[in-house]
Amino acid sequence: MVIDHAEKTMDTINKNLFLFWLLMSLALLPVAGFIMHPTRRVTIRFRHKIGAREMQLFNETYTNPFGEPITITRFKYYISHLSINEKELSSKTFLINEADSSSKTLVFTTGITSPQTLSFVIGVDSLLNVSGVQTGALDPLNGLFWTWNSGYIFARMEGKSDSSHAPAHSVNWDVGGFRSPYNASRKIQLTIPTDIIKAADPVIVIDADLLKWFNAKHTITIAQSPLCHQPGKLAMQLADNYSTMFTVAQ
Amino acid sequence: MKKVRIISCMLLLLLAALAWVEGYKPPTPLKFIVPRNWPKPKYDFAKNPLTQEGFLLGRKLFYDLRLSVDSTVSCGSCHQQFAAFSTYEHNLSHGVNSSLTTRNAPALQNLAWQSNFMWDGGIPHLDLQPLMPLTAANEMGETLGGVIRKLQQDASYPKLFTAAFGSPLINTQRMTKALSQYMLMLVSSNSKYDRVMRGEDSFALPEQLGYNIFKQKCSTCHKEPFFTDGSYRNTGLPVDNTLNDYGRMNSTGDHKDSLKFKVPSLRNVAVTFPYGHDGRFFSLMNVFDHYRRDMVVAATTDTLLLRRMPLSNYEIGQLTAFLNTLTDTIFLKNSMLAPEGKLESVPFQHLH
Repeated sequence: MVIDHAEKTMDTINKNLFLFWLLMSLALLPVAGFIMHPTRRVTIRFRHKIGAREMQLFNETYTNPFGEPITITRFKYYISHLSINEKELSSKTFLINEADSSSKTLVFTTGITSPQTLSFVIGVDSLLNVSGVQTGALDPLNGLFWTWNSGYIFARMEGKSDSSHAPAHSVNWDVGGFRSPYNASRKIQLTIPTDIIKAADPVIVIDADLLKWFNAKHTITIAQSPLCHQPGKLAMQLADNYSTMFTVAQ
Repeated sequence: MKKVRIISCMLLLLLAALAWVEGYKPPTPLKFIVPRNWPKPKYDFAKNPLTQEGFLLGRKLFYDLRLSVDSTVSCGSCHQQFAAFSTYEHNLSHGVNSSLTTRNAPALQNLAWQSNFMWDGGIPHLDLQPLMPLTAANEMGETLGGVIRKLQQDASYPKLFTAAFGSPLINTQRMTKALSQYMLMLVSSNSKYDRVMRGEDSFALPEQLGYNIFKQKCSTCHKEPFFTDGSYRNTGLPVDNTLNDYGRMNSTGDHKDSLKFKVPSLRNVAVTFPYGHDGRFFSLMNVFDHYRRDMVVAATTDTLLLRRMPLSNYEIGQLTAFLNTLTDTIFLKNSMLAPEGKLESVPFQHLH
């Protein structure tokens, strides 16, 4: 009986030992994964400019390529499918808002060791336009949402200009639309310079030049088109134009 | 292994204790009944499961005047139960500050089977629909931020949101989901017509004759059992030069959609007058006269109506008798759909 008992005890100890090592190795698995694929912190910072100068809301009057003055009061846009080397950093949609400096810096961790291309979409996936009310950055409460012909406003530039004949000399450019033939989402692709790639925790600064809204693929003057409030031709042209506004700062 | 069990038991106990302290009860599921022989609903209930608490919260929101900027207009102001949730006797419904909208508030019924909303179909989801009247300057005139703030600062709403959704968080999504839960329950399926279809009743002779004419002349667009096929059509209503409403074209930007409006359901048609997207027809007779005499046939007019629609006085009489069988008094008087503590009273008794 005594022997039997001892055997049983040994058996239990062995089992426990086995369990101990099993759990230990399980617990260490993520660490092993970490050692094999070091993660890096990537910071992406958006800087909004008028030509070469950083822009300011309200306080300054700028001149567009056609000599028209404009004071900018609001500037914001949605970006989605943010990817490095075509691999998505996040499935989220981000609202970049000039008036909210924290919204302009995004930080990710990624296993990608040699970032070369950065891409994102200005726009909100069509599915998210038709699947009820979203939360967070996409809460319609943030104001970038058309409620009557419903869908997200992808980008907004708003200001005042003496060249505008609209009420209160307004310049209101709300660009959006997810239905063909007026789908205003645009994919942006940028190349990341080598010295940024080499950094341990790369910081990628993306400059957005607002002057491109007026003059890039299309010529859009304040005098002619001070207002854009719905999907359509003008929204498509504005989207074409601003899709060229991004560059990676050296 | 024992330890694991003990720890999970303790955790469960802790959660139960917390729930008890917080007074939290999981919401009670509410069954959505699909009437016999009706198709599957289009609304995705899996994303917004109906519960009694969610429904009651939605009903309170629907009738809460404070959702408008100056606390004068609720959803229920323009969607009155006794008029099948349309605006009784108003061609164009009213908004805050004595403003006037540009359209006739449509009846709200059987919304679970509808996938696009508004006369022009500009809104692709029931949950998105309330955002429009809440924020339109000529309807409730609020901002979404303003509405959410009022609900958050209210004494009772955080408790009601907890009961419905498990935590006191109040955001746009939860508010609109609750409103949808209420609106989805606005099912009209108990008119005399429905009883006849179920074999529980029979038509009087004029009703039966009217039904035969209806199936011949009207039911392509006003398709059973919803009495609409959900399509957008130009039925020859010339544009009003103060409203300049081109309907579906406003939403699609396509000239081919000019002057096309959603085919309205004819359920409860006897109580949803005036008719038409801008309420220009004050009676069924006006509508019949429009189809047989006044229609303006133009480029986008529906191909079924290119020669208008000949209707004799006899046919109009029988059709009217049939259309009156679409009135569902059980729906119009259902106290569950009325504001809390108020029984809905019908201001008229003898429509038939």
